[in-house]
Amino acid sequence: MLFVSNRELVVPGKLLADEEYQAGEGTFLENGKIFSAVVGLAEVKDKSVGVISLQGRYIPRQGDKVIGIVIDTHPFGWIVDLNSPYTGNLMVSDLVGRKVDVFKEDLGKFLKIGDAVIAEVRKVDERWRVQLTASERGLGKIRGGRLVEISPAKVPRVIGRRGSMLKVLEETTGCKLEVGLNGRILVRGKDPKKINSVVEAILLIEREAHLSGLTDRIKAKLEKER
Amino acid sequence: MTGKPERLIVDGRRLDGRLPDELRPLRIKAGILKRADGSAYIELGKNKILAAVYGPKEMHPRHLQQADVAVLRCRYNMAPFSVEERKRPGPDRRSMEISKVIREALEPVLFLHLYPRAVIDVFIEILQADAGTRTAGITAASVALADAGIPMRDLVAGISAGKVDGVVVLDLMKEEDQWGEADMPIAVMPRRKQITLLQMDGNFTPEEFRQALDLAFKGIEKIYEAQKEALKEKYLPIEGER
Amino acid sequence: MKELIASVKKEYLAELASQGKRIDGRALDQYREIKIERGVIGTAQGSALVKLGNTQVMVGVKLEKGEPFPDTPNAGILVVNAELLPLASPTFEPGPPNENAIELARVVDRTIRESQMIDLEKLCIKEGEEVWAVFVDIYVLDHDGNLIDASVLASVAALYDVKPPTSEEWTLPAFPVRGKPVAVTVVKLNGVMMVDAGLEEENTADARLTISTLENGNICAMQKGGSGFFSREEIERAYELARKCGEELRRKL
Repeated sequence: MLFVSNRELVVPGKLLADEEYQAGEGTFLENGKIFSAVVGLAEVKDKSVGVISLQGRYIPRQGDKVIGIVIDTHPFGWIVDLNSPYTGNLMVSDLVGRKVDVFKEDLGKFLKIGDAVIAEVRKVDERWRVQLTASERGLGKIRGGRLVEISPAKVPRVIGRRGSMLKVLEETTGCKLEVGLNGRILVRGKDPKKINSVVEAILLIEREAHLSGLTDRIKAKLEKER
Repeated sequence: MTGKPERLIVDGRRLDGRLPDELRPLRIKAGILKRADGSAYIELGKNKILAAVYGPKEMHPRHLQQADVAVLRCRYNMAPFSVEERKRPGPDRRSMEISKVIREALEPVLFLHLYPRAVIDVFIEILQADAGTRTAGITAASVALADAGIPMRDLVAGISAGKVDGVVVLDLMKEEDQWGEADMPIAVMPRRKQITLLQMDGNFTPEEFRQALDLAFKGIEKIYEAQKEALKEKYLPIEGER
Repeated sequence: MKELIASVKKEYLAELASQGKRIDGRALDQYREIKIERGVIGTAQGSALVKLGNTQVMVGVKLEKGEPFPDTPNAGILVVNAELLPLASPTFEPGPPNENAIELARVVDRTIRESQMIDLEKLCIKEGEEVWAVFVDIYVLDHDGNLIDASVLASVAALYDVKPPTSEEWTLPAFPVRGKPVAVTVVKLNGVMMVDAGLEEENTADARLTISTLENGNICAMQKGGSGFFSREEIERAYELARKCGEELRRKL
């Protein structure tokens, strides 16, 4: 039996469903019943119930694309801040794509503390040690552009279903976006005004992520500013 | 400082006009600080309390990390201007004990095993005090935890009950706390009525204790509703703002 | 612990500055939105909450009886304390005031004391034995840059909010305040001077200079902070900004 409707705003401890349903993300089981663990929007699918959290820190998952900031170095690479309780480790060979003799080459020429880098989460072990990789095309040190930071919980709205929102943002402004699932987004473009438009649109999405019809409204806003 | 009033209950009404089972006016707002991961502000009578949460985040120094769970840290602190006689800044024995029992009141509701090696910091600042600050602080702190997106089994709601002029009352104000016969702060996970904080000092008969618990649970229900409203309020679409 | 800001963002701020622009579109001599609420704390004799953009600072003023300092036996005492509360920023840790909290308190103290806005001599109860002590407690609640200016605004507003204590030893008709000092902090970012730095600007800037002024344009306190430096011309420019913006800030009080 279901006790909640799709997209209903729920808080921790709210009873969502009983044994007939599967427990989705953002929920917990107690005596066979499914409860919400977070503040968010209930997501009712065919046979499962979950809650899309409206807040929360980023938890690294294998395969995620992220934007990190280098905060420390070690003899074989760098420690990267992921806007998460867990930092990422980037070995120099995973950035450069080849074996590097750390005694002959100075790692500082690849990345320094404070540099931002687009990376992929290669592996997360059972002790939450996170290994990053950044050697593939499209990944690596960020050399310019506008970095925006939003709540990681709102990032899926910036991407949109099947990338629909991202498409709107890029096509109406001619800018290119790199979206880190950890809440950091890089905006690149030729026209500073257009970049500002995109940044404002992203912040608006963050504020109104829980409301529907957002994609259309963002599209209308950006087209008006064209 | 004025001396003890002759009577604390006159014609069945307390000094501020309340009946024994009435809460003081309550107001809760979530998400009022920009930097904190989660925050909440509560007014209960003349109490004004701010709670903020940072985390889960990396725990430093590393030797304090726990390999399999997140650590919860709580700090209850009173502003120098929060009481009639200025309080010197900094922790004292009272605030350290209160910090501990608040932490133990909030721990049961969290899934600490989800974030090994991390820490969740809870800060409770008493800006203006009028008795019942630790339980109001817990009420605000659990809203702040939910506001931070930290998974929880339930919220935790707190209130005090006590005895004044021989009558069991709910939500003691300063004069009642100071001159009454018993004071019992209590915090509960309301969904299953599980008690996570219970302290008492004074004198209760077993019957009075049960009455106090009954009153407290009724008060907790109202506080729970206010907490849930505060969390939802942030996300209700505001007409005319688009 | 330092604030974490990516180099690419600092470079962007520096580039904007060289064009005379700022990340939130403000002018170089423009403050963020300022809101001042008075009388917010009933247990204090005077109080104020200042919102400067997203920065929030609360000040409570309490009056208590105490012993005068030996060298000023017939004057009241001013004590200013600041707490950078851990809830205001992930970089603030619990504990006794660190060098930043102490610097903040002392800069606010000098602004209030040297402006002579409180007539401390009127606060004497019995010469050499008992005087009124004015405690100004600065509580930083949310840190989004420019804590000094926000703290001075909140402290002055709180002092003007003071209702005298109900005590036999209080004989004055009102709390003796006069004049409104204001502090304007200017930062130098990529060689460009700007007021009211937001968090990211503050952490990208080379240095900051706080100048507290009185109504007549006189300077009553100054403080340079940060590890950069200023030229003579830059200091003149900072004073011009402090005068102009100071007047606008004073109007809010």
